[in-house]
Amino acid sequence: MKRWKFFERIKRDKIALFSIAIIIITCAAALFAPYLSPYPFAVQDPGAILKGPSLKYLLGTDRLGRDLLSRIIYGSRVSMLVGFTSSLLALIIGAIYGAISGLAGQRTDNFMMRIVDIVYSLPDLLLIILISVVIGRSVIGIFLALALVSWVTIARLVRGEALRLKEQLFVEAARGLGASNLRIIFVHLLPNTVGPLIVTLTFRIPAAILAESTLSFVGLGITPPFSSWGTLANDGWSAIKFYPHLIIFPSFAIFLTILSFNYLGDTLRDFLDPEMRYK
Amino acid sequence: MSQQDTKERENPPLSPFFKGGLILAFILVPFLFPACKNRNTESRQIKGEKVFRMVIASEPPTLDWSLATDNVSFHVITNIMEGLTQYDDDLNPVPAIAKKWETSEDGKKITFFLRDNVFWNDKVPVTAYDFEYSWKRLLNPATGAEYAYFLYDLVNAYEYNSGIIKDQALVGVKAKSGKVLEVTLKKPAVYFPSLTTFMVTFPLRKDIVEKYKDRWTDPGNIVTNGPFKLWKWEHEYKLELTANKDYYGEKVKIDWIKMYVVGENNTALTLYETGDLDMVSIPPLAVNYYKKSKEYINTPQLRGYYYGFNIRKKPFDDMRVRRAFSMAIDRKRITDVLKGGEIPASSWIPKGMFGYNENIGLKFNPEEARRLLAEAGYSSGKGFPEVNITFNTDAENKLIAENVQSQLKENLNINVKLDNQEWKVYLKTLKTKPPEIFRLGWGADYPDPDNFMNLFTSSSGNNNTDWVNPEYDRLIAMGAGTKDRALRLKIYDDAQKILCEEDVPIMPLFVASQNLLVKKYIKGFKPNAMDILYLKKVAVEK
Amino acid sequence: MIKLIFRRFLWGIPVLFFVASLTFSLMHVVPGGPFDKEKNLPPAIQKNIEEKYHLDKPVITQYLLYMLSLSKGDLGPSYKYLGRNVNDIISQTFPVSLELGLWAFVIAIILGISTGIISAVRVNTLIDRVSQFVATAGISMPNFVLAVLLILIFSEYLKALPAALWESSRYAILPSLTLSLGPAAYISRLTRGSIIDILGKDYIKTARAKGLSEPLILFKHVIRNSISPIITILGPLGATLVTGSFIVEYIFSIPGMGKFFITAVTNRDYPLIMGITLIYSALIIIANIFVDILYSVIDPRVRMK
Repeated sequence: MKRWKFFERIKRDKIALFSIAIIIITCAAALFAPYLSPYPFAVQDPGAILKGPSLKYLLGTDRLGRDLLSRIIYGSRVSMLVGFTSSLLALIIGAIYGAISGLAGQRTDNFMMRIVDIVYSLPDLLLIILISVVIGRSVIGIFLALALVSWVTIARLVRGEALRLKEQLFVEAARGLGASNLRIIFVHLLPNTVGPLIVTLTFRIPAAILAESTLSFVGLGITPPFSSWGTLANDGWSAIKFYPHLIIFPSFAIFLTILSFNYLGDTLRDFLDPEMRYK
Repeated sequence: MSQQDTKERENPPLSPFFKGGLILAFILVPFLFPACKNRNTESRQIKGEKVFRMVIASEPPTLDWSLATDNVSFHVITNIMEGLTQYDDDLNPVPAIAKKWETSEDGKKITFFLRDNVFWNDKVPVTAYDFEYSWKRLLNPATGAEYAYFLYDLVNAYEYNSGIIKDQALVGVKAKSGKVLEVTLKKPAVYFPSLTTFMVTFPLRKDIVEKYKDRWTDPGNIVTNGPFKLWKWEHEYKLELTANKDYYGEKVKIDWIKMYVVGENNTALTLYETGDLDMVSIPPLAVNYYKKSKEYINTPQLRGYYYGFNIRKKPFDDMRVRRAFSMAIDRKRITDVLKGGEIPASSWIPKGMFGYNENIGLKFNPEEARRLLAEAGYSSGKGFPEVNITFNTDAENKLIAENVQSQLKENLNINVKLDNQEWKVYLKTLKTKPPEIFRLGWGADYPDPDNFMNLFTSSSGNNNTDWVNPEYDRLIAMGAGTKDRALRLKIYDDAQKILCEEDVPIMPLFVASQNLLVKKYIKGFKPNAMDILYLKKVAVEK
Repeated sequence: MIKLIFRRFLWGIPVLFFVASLTFSLMHVVPGGPFDKEKNLPPAIQKNIEEKYHLDKPVITQYLLYMLSLSKGDLGPSYKYLGRNVNDIISQTFPVSLELGLWAFVIAIILGISTGIISAVRVNTLIDRVSQFVATAGISMPNFVLAVLLILIFSEYLKALPAALWESSRYAILPSLTLSLGPAAYISRLTRGSIIDILGKDYIKTARAKGLSEPLILFKHVIRNSISPIITILGPLGATLVTGSFIVEYIFSIPGMGKFFITAVTNRDYPLIMGITLIYSALIIIANIFVDILYSVIDPRVRMK
């Protein structure tokens, strides 16, 4: 029932439709990059170094004479992968942690929340930098680093929901029927928090994409041969006066995608849970 | 989803006092922090005084010249201090505080004679004892100086520094009188007067260092003898130097130097454009834009960039493979991408240094490269394992590696993977398990081929290739003590042929270059190949 | 109440202790040391330096030594900036970051709340849509892109504001603007949502029925009651603005503490890494306690835990 209402609402909201279209296009670009991009992403044309947009190279070329459009299309792969993976990872860790903490209550809860306090008071960026230097060199390092700093917010959210749901009849009933804690977490608790979690996810993804671009700026971004939008933007930001295409197109890709995610997140939240606005 | 509103959100009205206070607090808070406001009030600058404004890339890690190792500290120290010798415009050591020096017949004893009219800026004369104290402090293990090895040519210097002997009187430096300094060397070193241009050999005031301890370099404490003196040091932000009236040499033409700490090249460039700086170095991507400008200056540096092989790792234990790689790379294509006036290089001694010979080294020759590779058993790249090129994370290094990657694919049909590591992680990797191909650079400590060629001897701490060649070692040791220039040239030619044509443990790629913008009203500015900045010759004619 | 606040502060001490231990161990897992350089040092010199800074001792001993001096309030000497103490470095650079952060904080609040209110009052009109679009746009761009855009427009083309450095208040405008646009957008959206929500409540309807004027209702009832969700994010936000300024400080060459986040780690300046981590953690803890206090002042029913 609710699902249909959602589609109906979306149909009336042009910006939401537009956002969804952008997200679908970006995902498609990520999935089908080899078929969509006009050139392989690493091919270099020594005769066309740092050329502006032309018919041959629609968005121009970079310092090695590579087609920028192709690199942006391939870049969507990494950026989306970073966004989705690190957010999902954070979500899983946070949700399970929060659920256990909330359900267990009392001492365990207290202890687990103190750990959250500690992680929460660590400066994100320093932690990310340290972790990615330790793990280093791989996409996985970045997933982990981003996930490890953002799971606490989710843990707090889920714990709150857990505390609330715990007191409710159906959970008490399940417990009365002898359901195990694990069963309660996965069958009763988590499904009931799906709404807020989806909303959180739509906000986490763009945050992760932005965080990755910040990491690129520090020189700890994705390593070659891959390049993300963040690394592309970082390669070009200093050239804004000299070769504006290097910075304009990648940041526009970032901008549009993040904008879409944020707008979709807003719409979803308004729809699923108006109260969520406060969190 | 259950939507019971458990938490009531209808709050009771706030007290107006609280609300007002909150708003007021937010508005007032910034004004409670006046730190930003009056930074410049104490500057005593008088109108009409000549000011030179430049940037330094970071906060100087220290101004203690025994401990300083980096370029930024060096830029500051070389303008407030002078040593026994100094470079002229062509990087030859010429007299500074020493008016002359004499080398003994066997080349092992050098006697420096100091000028009589040199004073510290508190009017105390500079003596040979100040040098002796400074050098022994540099070598004292407790000082923990990184550049102590600069004086390892002295008798007993290494022994004292490494704790083998405790008596510093045995070290080969002695003030014979206030104006005569006698240096005893282990073996002849023709480049020694170049070493004494470097900051770690500058004299030190024992009384000052002992009085202020760690704080002796603070403005007000520090005592120097150079053309300028330290006036103000706002950490992480700015250093100000003023003309030193007690300087023995020619009167300087600028009254103030402001050195701003600007880490980001592009920020510095913008400040230059908005007229806040008189000189700036151009970031790589902007060089092309300014090439035609009248303010543009390009100077090749004595800084080589190379790829090294770990010759223990297969298939790079085969020198035919290493030669093939070196021949398969067109250096010109790399410098075309870099666009900063870098010079393609196939030999190791950089252009502008004694011993440079552009005819040495393997030139770009893809056919011959393929032939060599086939000879080694990998005809048209078949069966050749995937190769890793490792470098430290940096935009330029990445660009070069990506270019080399594509050239090797094109010319040898070899697949290359790129691996980058954060700088310190990378240094650790190089030390413990050098990758099959790695990137490194080397900047001259002194403009003598010995400094470059010594790198790949078997005893060098910086030879990460594991390559050992006794003949090469012999040539380098001979070169260091040979005074006859023609003979010396021949020695280095032979050594370079071993290094770059026969054994090929490294492939030199290019020689770096410096790109500057200097305002037209700045006169007398002469950049040199070692990025040494003597501002005493510079004038501002606005 | 005061007892509770005191207890919260007390709890901050063990948290800081754990933060210190965690950072210390993470730091030592990272390969490479403070004195590794491009030019390798002879072993004898390496040994001298390690002895000078106690780096030759086992990590456990180093840890204990550090904790001992920390308990005396001494953050140790910097390994990079020789002859300077981490205490000095922090006391010189932290006020700058704090000032920059506070400017950004104020701009974010003023900009965020005002556009939020306008949006909410004129909900679903063009003004609302445009300001919400701009607000969303504000959080959709990497900081460094925003920074170069602002510099290009205001410094290079309009020549209205300084491009970098830190001389007078004018120099704070561009960097604090860069820093605040994202949070401003966030506050704006939050305010809008919160006010729209309150506007739908019964007591507002009652007030309207009583014939109170719209502005009076807005200022007396709506804004006052919708402020609590905004207060909750102010603490973390304040901490983020002060701690998250590293890109801005770097691009605008501001002598603050933010840039040590990168340089201290890349230099492996262990004492400095520890120092800034502790300062920032303390800041986050204090910010959170502050919010809790504010919150319980606004709404006495919310008890401090």
